[in-house]
Amino acid sequence: MRIVFVATAAVLAPVAAFAVDYLSAEQAFKLMFPDADHFEPREFPLNAAQMQELEAQGVRARSVHWTVSVAQRAGAPLGYVVVDNVIGKSELITYAVGIGLDGAIKQVEVLSYRESHGQEIRLPAWRRQFVGKTAASSLHSGDDIANISGATLSCSHVTEGVKRIVAVVALARRSGGLP
Amino acid sequence: MSAQAELGKQIFRDVSLSGSGNQSCASCHDPNNGHAAPNSLAVQLGGPSLNLQGTRSSPSIRYLASNTAFHFDTEGTPTGGFFWDGRAASLQDQAGRPFLNPVEMANASVADVIAKLSHASYAAQFQQVFGADIFSRPDDAFARLTLALQQFQLEDADFHPFSSKYDAFLRGAAKLSDQELRGLALFNNPNKGNCAACHPSAKGVDGSHPLFTDFTYDTLGVPRNPEIGANADPAHFDLGLCARQGGDLVARTDLCGAFKVPSLRNVAMRHALFHNGRFKSLKDALTFYVQRDTNPEKWYPLNTDGSVNKFDDLPAAYRANVNTSEVPYNRHPGDAPALSDAEIDDVIAFLSTLNDGYMP
Amino acid sequence: MNPRHLLAMPLKAVLAAGLTCLAGAVFAQSADPDEMARRVDELASELATVKKQLSELEQQKANAMPASSAAEEPTTVFTSYGEINYNRPTHEPENAQADLRRFVFGFQHRFDAQTKLVTEIEFEHAVTSAEDPGEAEIEQAMIEHSLNPTWAVRAGLFLMPVGLLNENHEPTAYYGVERNFVETAIIPTTWREGGVQVVGTFENGVTFQTGVTTGFDLAKWDATSPEGALSPLGSIHQELALARAYDLSIFGALNWRGIPGLLVGGSLFTGGATQGQAVVSASVTLWDLHARWTPGRWDFAALYSSGSISNTAALNMPLVGNPTLIPESFDGGYVQAAYKLWMHGSQVLSPFVRLEQFNTGRRYADLGPGLTPAARPTEQVATVGMNYQITPGVVVKADVQHFREDQDADRVDLGLGWSF
Repeated sequence: MRIVFVATAAVLAPVAAFAVDYLSAEQAFKLMFPDADHFEPREFPLNAAQMQELEAQGVRARSVHWTVSVAQRAGAPLGYVVVDNVIGKSELITYAVGIGLDGAIKQVEVLSYRESHGQEIRLPAWRRQFVGKTAASSLHSGDDIANISGATLSCSHVTEGVKRIVAVVALARRSGGLP
Repeated sequence: MSAQAELGKQIFRDVSLSGSGNQSCASCHDPNNGHAAPNSLAVQLGGPSLNLQGTRSSPSIRYLASNTAFHFDTEGTPTGGFFWDGRAASLQDQAGRPFLNPVEMANASVADVIAKLSHASYAAQFQQVFGADIFSRPDDAFARLTLALQQFQLEDADFHPFSSKYDAFLRGAAKLSDQELRGLALFNNPNKGNCAACHPSAKGVDGSHPLFTDFTYDTLGVPRNPEIGANADPAHFDLGLCARQGGDLVARTDLCGAFKVPSLRNVAMRHALFHNGRFKSLKDALTFYVQRDTNPEKWYPLNTDGSVNKFDDLPAAYRANVNTSEVPYNRHPGDAPALSDAEIDDVIAFLSTLNDGYMP
Repeated sequence: MNPRHLLAMPLKAVLAAGLTCLAGAVFAQSADPDEMARRVDELASELATVKKQLSELEQQKANAMPASSAAEEPTTVFTSYGEINYNRPTHEPENAQADLRRFVFGFQHRFDAQTKLVTEIEFEHAVTSAEDPGEAEIEQAMIEHSLNPTWAVRAGLFLMPVGLLNENHEPTAYYGVERNFVETAIIPTTWREGGVQVVGTFENGVTFQTGVTTGFDLAKWDATSPEGALSPLGSIHQELALARAYDLSIFGALNWRGIPGLLVGGSLFTGGATQGQAVVSASVTLWDLHARWTPGRWDFAALYSSGSISNTAALNMPLVGNPTLIPESFDGGYVQAAYKLWMHGSQVLSPFVRLEQFNTGRRYADLGPGLTPAARPTEQVATVGMNYQITPGVVVKADVQHFREDQDADRVDLGLGWSF
């Protein structure tokens, strides 16, 4: 006899079925690491010394608690994904950054975007600009990362956020907090 | 029309309501002459025997429905008011004063007016509207008499027909001739006639047709008119705003010599122009406008030493009040006048399109 | 939105139901050893499946919460921008002026995930009263509702998607102390109308906007005032203030941002402007083409806009002789280049150059000899200056402007602006 989990199927549907949420976190993870069979969340709280280290790199740490999901296949790590929010002009932008084992950005995805202008940051062409950057790269919007005309704030805040995530992941790996 | 306005219509032409028994509102505000003077006298004759000169020319009382009481606007410009010096606050206020003016309708008193009213052919109608006992209360009756005249002027389309050729042109129902169009252009051009600066010619934002007055005042220094008997006394001056009855503007000596900007609608029907009726034709009036300063000797008497006694209808102290800064007054002897003779004719052709009663 | 609640209750209930079914299924059958063994194997594998799904659910639960949601979902957000400007005409320094040009605040309020209200209130020239030069106005008041990831609807008072400046007019968004002349004299920034529009943002970087709105009112044209010569459309806009709406207007705008750092677009607006009040019907049409390219530290921009009004001969006839008649056409264009010369932390210094040309009376309809106004001279303005960003959202600006025609207008400008 087969058991059908009807209710669970409904529960497994994307958390937010709203119009401007383009991807769920899970969908983003799968896009970045299609070979992964498991994503292990790791909590990584920053201590004072680590926060200062980040500031010294020119990155505002902003929060103490960070959750990095480690993409795994058969127990071996493939890379890391961090989901984060920044404010564009007046609305939250939810995005995810996928980082490879070499510490370089693999992919950036925009999960939700609600500002009236600047949806173009979702376009592959804009997000592709981040691919290959590391914590050591210069990541300035309007310079290394081209802006979207009319959405300068969204571009610069997301760029700042990506830079922060790359720095935090690099820090976590150096301190042994991540495999 | 309302009952009050109907009474006003009858009162307006009732000659019995005067000291002479032969003068009504319509006598000096003739409906067939734009509700202005029917003759070319500088000032009309009134009084009990209709032989006393008035002091100022009889203006048109058309197109006054939107005029307000006298006030200074946000920029301090004197605006509004009825009569040449704005001393009456409303149509009703203005309507009552000629009845008691000894050189106009020359009634002895309010009671005198009401006594005559009670014998009028429409007296019963008056009682019906305002109460059977109204004649026993002369002050109240007079207030209602003037109210009736106001309502008549507000409600009767004859006081604002907008039936001129220019109105038809604004409605797209008529074309102006080439000369009339040239005249309009000169009228509007701030470097030529600049007439529209005080006599606006454009439709309002709400689509209303222009009244050709902005209801303000100006001091033009019109030459003294010997036709007015009072001017025989060299010490007599009609100072306009600053000297008006009530004395509220006595301190405003900068307003001495200022008189109301009248509407130019039906101006081509008039035969005496300006507050003192000094000019009898539009040609003379317009030529004065543009040559007042280029050829003052044409308009003002000469002093014994040969110099021109310019602005002779103002005491020396107030001659500085005269408008010499706006076009076309900003010229000097030897300059070309703002309008040539032919251009003046063009403007007159245009002004003639402002007469009500245009039939294509 | 907390997913924990979503998962906890039904999950427990389902698992409980499932296990009960399992137990029921086992005991419902007769006791045959091989059958039993087979069933146990079946149960074991199904149990393994359940375990796996449970683990996935838990993982999803953990991942659905953003890693560091330090920011709570804002529902009401205040925005503001302002400009304080100083202008000093070079040849007429006695006309120097300092002005709190604009003080704007606004708010966005989100009702639900798809719907928000966007408003903006502006105060010009610091003090607003009957005796003071200031003006208070509502610049935006619109509801935006997303239908799906591609299409959104906006209704209310909104900014027209025209040019480079109109929708992005904050002092931090343009170079130079004053907004450029083409986008004030030809495109009447900040131009807003009341109506409805749909906005489509496509995967290829195209944004398409189209809608129906109120339009202009030619009855407001004042031939005695110089306003119409400074900005024809600016002198007859209605700004949804008891706007006449007998004639409605339509517009379309297409913008492509497919390549990061490049914007190419254009717009078209047309609609009746006599509102049933005049002797003839006349309409206003305005179109523009624009491009902006920001390779590296450079910022290049170019724009051209042209407007026209129909039937102006009939409308101008009663206005002959006045200084400012209604033009048949007006247009302008500019090219601009800026460079991020110096950057340090959040400071950025960007010098720029702009050349613009415009004519607010390019052509007048024929009214007959001696009555037809001559075309106005085409003005050309060169602006050189710099924007100095102290921190994102605060900018200090300085520039020098030279006018080819109206040389008395040559001036030096300084400005302070903020935007958040």
